[in-house]
Amino acid sequence: MTTSFQYLLSGLAIGGIYALVALGFHIMWSAAKAVNFAHGDTLMLGGVLAVLGVDAGLPLWLACLLAIVAGGVFGVLLERFAVRPFTGSNTSIGWMLTTIAVGIMVESLATMQFGGFSRPLPSPGIERAVNIFGAGVYPQELAIPCIALLAMFGFRALQQRTLIGRAMQAVSHNRQAAALMGIDVNRVVAFSFALAALFGAGAGVLVAPVVQASATMGTLLGLKGFAVAIIGGITSAPGVVIAGLGFGIVEKFVEGYISTAAREIVGFGSMIVVLLIFPQGLFGKKEVFKV
Amino acid sequence: MQMAKYNRRILLAAPLALALSSTTALAQQEACIGNSAAITGPAAFGGQAIKMGAEIAIDEINQNGGVLGKKLRLVQYDDAGAPPRGVDNTRRIALADKCVAVLGGYHSTVSVAQVEPVHAIGIPFVGVLAANTQAIENGRKPNFMFRVSAKDKWVARFLVEEALKVSKTGKIAFFYENTGWGNGALPDVKAAMSKAGKELVAAETFNWNDQDMTPQVIRARDAGADVALFWALDREGNQILRSMDKVGFKPTVIGAWGIAGNLGELAGPLANGVQVIQTYTFMGELGPKGKALWGKIQAKYGLKDPSEIKMSSGVANAYDAVYIIAQAIEKAGAYEWKKVREALYKVEHDGIVANYKPAFDEADPERQDAILPQYYKLTVWSDGKLLPIGQTKYAQ
Repeated sequence: MTTSFQYLLSGLAIGGIYALVALGFHIMWSAAKAVNFAHGDTLMLGGVLAVLGVDAGLPLWLACLLAIVAGGVFGVLLERFAVRPFTGSNTSIGWMLTTIAVGIMVESLATMQFGGFSRPLPSPGIERAVNIFGAGVYPQELAIPCIALLAMFGFRALQQRTLIGRAMQAVSHNRQAAALMGIDVNRVVAFSFALAALFGAGAGVLVAPVVQASATMGTLLGLKGFAVAIIGGITSAPGVVIAGLGFGIVEKFVEGYISTAAREIVGFGSMIVVLLIFPQGLFGKKEVFKV
Repeated sequence: MQMAKYNRRILLAAPLALALSSTTALAQQEACIGNSAAITGPAAFGGQAIKMGAEIAIDEINQNGGVLGKKLRLVQYDDAGAPPRGVDNTRRIALADKCVAVLGGYHSTVSVAQVEPVHAIGIPFVGVLAANTQAIENGRKPNFMFRVSAKDKWVARFLVEEALKVSKTGKIAFFYENTGWGNGALPDVKAAMSKAGKELVAAETFNWNDQDMTPQVIRARDAGADVALFWALDREGNQILRSMDKVGFKPTVIGAWGIAGNLGELAGPLANGVQVIQTYTFMGELGPKGKALWGKIQAKYGLKDPSEIKMSSGVANAYDAVYIIAQAIEKAGAYEWKKVREALYKVEHDGIVANYKPAFDEADPERQDAILPQYYKLTVWSDGKLLPIGQTKYAQ
C-alpha cells in the first residue's frame, strides 16, 4: 500500500513536469498552429541560466526571475526568425526543421558554456523529504503538479476573460478572418510563443532543483512533453495536463511492477494505441482545416 | 541484382584497401601520441583530465630531450562519447597523423568500437580511463589493446570484497546504468559475488537522465540490502541517493568511479560517506611525486584547488601511460607500431599510480592491464570533497 502510494506521489511529481511542458506546446498550438520543437531547450535555458545567475552572485529569486525572462525573450526571437518565415506555406516541414535545428544549436552552445556536468540549483523545497502516509517526497516535487494545475486554470482565465486571450482564440480559429477583424496576427502569435517560453523556462527553474540543471536536461523532457500533449489532445489545456500527470503515474507503476527497462516501451507504445483509437488525442477536439 | 552490385563494389574496393594498408605499413610513424576522447558533451571533463596528464608527461619528457632525439606531441580529437567518431578518430590518428600510439578516452562504448580499427591498422592502443573488461580482453592475437586504468572485472571484485567487509547481513544490492559500461559490469559483479558464495539481492538498472529511482530503491530496500554498489555517473548517482533519502533507505554506498566527479556538489550532505574507487586522487595528503605533478597542473592550467580536477584518476593514468609509451619507443629503438607494441611488454616503470613491474605481460591475457587491483584506492565523499578514506572519519 505504502509502495503504491509512493509510486503515485513520485509519478505525480514527474507527471507535473510533463504537464508543464505539454501546456507550453498547447499554448503555442492554440494560437499559431505551429509549435517550437526546441521547447525542451527553453526549459533547459531556464534551469541553466538560473544556476549561472546564482554562480554570478545574484540572490536565488532574482536569478530565477531573470532566467525566466531570458527564456521568454528566447521564445519571441525564435518565433520571429525560425517559425514565422515558414508558417505561410502549406507544409509544416519548415518550422519543424528550423525549431529542431535551433534546439540542437542551443544545446551545443549550452554544453560549451556550461560544461558537461549537471549542476544543482539550490531550493528550500528539496532540503528535506516529507513523509506522507509512509511515502517520501520533496515539497518541491509536490509543488510542480500543483503549479501545472494553476497554470492551466490561469491560462484558461486569460483565454476567456482578456482581450489578448480572445484574440489568441480568434487567430487560432481563422488567421485571415482575425486579421480582417483588426487583430494583429503576428503580434498575437509572438505573444503566445513568449507566454509558452515563459512557462517553459519557469518549468526549468522549478524542476532544476529536482532533476539538476544540465545542457541535456531538456531533451527527453521536451520529447515526452510533446508526446503527452499529443496523447492529451493538443487543443485542450485540461487534456494535456491530465495526460501529463497520468503519463507520469503510469511510468512509475510500470517501473515499480514490471521493470525500469519496460518504461519507455509501455509509455510510447500506449501513445501509439491512444492515437490509433483517438486520432485527436484523448481530450482533443476535431479540427477542420478549410482550404 | 542489388547483391551483385554490392559484391562488385567490394571487389573494386578490396585492392584499393590493400594498396592503402600496404603503403601505410611502410610509412614511418611520427613522434606523436593521438587521443580520441570526449572533449564536448556530458563527459568533457574526462577528455580534459587525459589532456592534462598527457601534456604534462610530454612536457617533462621533452625537457629531457624527447624520445629517440625527437620531441613528442599530443594530438587530441573529440569523439563526444560517440563510438563512430571514436573509430573515425582512430583512423585519423593512425593514417593521417601517423602517430605512434592511441590513448583511449572516457567512454567504454567507444573503446569497444576502437578494437576493430586498431587491429585492422595494427597501431598500439593504450586506454587510460574507460574500464570495460572486453575492450582490452578481446581475444585477439596479437592484441594491440593495452590499458593503464582500472578494469571493471577487477573493480567488481575489489568493490564486492569491500562491500562484504562492511555488510552485516551479506545482502548487497547493485545499481547500474543501462549503457555499455553498466551492462558490461553486471556479469563481473555477479561473478565476483558468486566467487564469495553469495548472490545479489537486487540488481537494478536505470537510464541516463532518469529523474526518480524510487521503484528501484524500494525493491532493494525490501530485499533487505545493507550495502549498495553503484555503477552510475554523478547525476544519476545523485538521483539514487535522493530517492533513497525519500524512502528512508540508508545503506552503505560504494561505487565505481563514475560518481567521482561532482556528486558531493549535487547531493550535498547525502553524499557524505559514499565511497568511490579511484586509481589516483590529488585530494588530501599527497606524496612527493603527487605534489610535484599537482604543482605543474596548477601552473599550466591555472587551477587553485585539487577539487577542480574532476577525474584525477584520468590525469594520473594518462601521465603514467605516456611515460610507458615513451619508454616502449626507446626500447623499440624506432617509431614503429609493431616494434612498439612488442616493447610495451618489456617496460618497467615506477609511476605515480603504481610501480609497473612489468607494465604488461604477454603470457597472461589478463595482464594487458597495467594497474593491478592492489593499487586501487578507496576514496570517500566528505562534505563535498572526495578524500582518501584513510584520512577521514569513515576509515574502519
